[in-house]
Amino acid sequence: MKNYLFLILLVFGCQPKTTDTSPKKVAVIISTLNNPWFVVLAEAASAKAKELGYEAKIFDSQNNTALETDHFDNAIASGYDAVLFNPTDADGSVVNVKKAKEAGVAVFCIDREVNSADAATSQILSDNYSGCVSIGKYFVETMNKKGKYVELLGLVGDNNTWNRSKGFHSVVDKFPDLKMVAQQSADFDRNKGLEVMESILQAHPDITAVFCGNDAMAMGAFQALISSGKANQVKVFGFDGADDVLSSIKSKKISATCLQFPKLMAQTAAIFADEYFKGKRDFPKKMPVAVELVSQKNIADYE
Amino acid sequence: MNKILKNGLGLLILGVVAYNSVYFKKLDEVKKGNGKNTLDAKVYANSFYQDKILKNVDKSIEINELTNKLKTNPEETFKQYAHSLGIGNIRYFLVKATGKVTKINENTIDIEVDGKPYSVATEFIFGNAVRDASGIITMTTFENTMDFNNVSSELNEIIRNKVVPDLKKKATLGSQISLIGAIELNQKHLKLNEIEVIPVFLSDK
Repeated sequence: MKNYLFLILLVFGCQPKTTDTSPKKVAVIISTLNNPWFVVLAEAASAKAKELGYEAKIFDSQNNTALETDHFDNAIASGYDAVLFNPTDADGSVVNVKKAKEAGVAVFCIDREVNSADAATSQILSDNYSGCVSIGKYFVETMNKKGKYVELLGLVGDNNTWNRSKGFHSVVDKFPDLKMVAQQSADFDRNKGLEVMESILQAHPDITAVFCGNDAMAMGAFQALISSGKANQVKVFGFDGADDVLSSIKSKKISATCLQFPKLMAQTAAIFADEYFKGKRDFPKKMPVAVELVSQKNIADYE
Repeated sequence: MNKILKNGLGLLILGVVAYNSVYFKKLDEVKKGNGKNTLDAKVYANSFYQDKILKNVDKSIEINELTNKLKTNPEETFKQYAHSLGIGNIRYFLVKATGKVTKINENTIDIEVDGKPYSVATEFIFGNAVRDASGIITMTTFENTMDFNNVSSELNEIIRNKVVPDLKKKATLGSQISLIGAIELNQKHLKLNEIEVIPVFLSDK
């Protein structure tokens, strides 16, 4: 009997272990799906991950850091292997990324960064600074190096706001006859852009340009300029490459914007995750994605 | 008397201890101290320009050779000669050019290289062309976004303060100039008739 038992154990016990052939899982955690920009990010990241042979699922944080924390907890508990992540808050999201890192889950940030040098495996971000250097250069050229202008900033707590502003000023401030007479936040919001611009125009009716940290504010500012009859006097510059701004550039209402590439950022994050699974570890902490100046000079290329 | 001496001595010791226990520093100095680990972009840019860019000018391609290659085989030419720290369509080339000065403008100097016209920037020295064109710099060098932006900015300062004044002095109408330069091109929307060269180094021939 003992010999039979030994034989059975030998036959069945020595069979090779079945290897787990199920695909690795990638969580796509996005700040909000209530905005088409982020929907594009989410879908592009998920589609690329699936194309590379992984299981992918999109989680909507609804701009709520607490909900984002729940998504990370679920992803870690459910055995996800990587997170393609668009954070809700540069500071508030750090803890989630660190938690994932401790659990051995690699995190790749897309479009928005977290304020930590080593939490995420890599952060793939629009090169906002360089984009605004090119906008600044075009601004100086079209203003003939002189005139009064105003700046509408995005959310003051957002890194993109300041990278854009710094890039712009790194050029424009070298020309002393270009004078910024007001700098105010309009929170990246079209309606606020309209309101802030209306009040600025009352105090500074003689401005000849406005630089806006995104296209929504640029459209709001442009509306205010139409209402005050100054649309032909004041040049408007935006950032993002939104469709309505591109068509406004074509019809010579807006001077220029910078076109971002959300799909490229999202797809690069998925490719990085794939490379990570295959053993690569030396990722750049920040990977800038070039943005392109679209002006009345080259709008034909972007139609 | 002894009591006065003892108290005086005690007060003196207390004073010395108190003085050495408290330090006052300017907030600016403290902030600077906290930023010890951040890159000194000015120092980095100076040494990068002297020790890396100037010692790798032989990596440059003659400008007409480049434009001819871009016309016949753009994809392969970008692959072989273009560089950039980031990803996307904007790429940079390190070029060399010897040409005759045909016009001096407010923001540029026009030159003709074997019959082909190019503009050399003298006013708008901005962007990442100088930093990226040589292909020597890598993203893993930097941890902070602002570090690699600041390096670009400082490299452009070097060009603005050292190279451009020399160029303006040498480039009289009809004179011959030789330079190493950096150019930016968009891989998807290639415009070979709008090339603007940022001067990186003036060579003798």
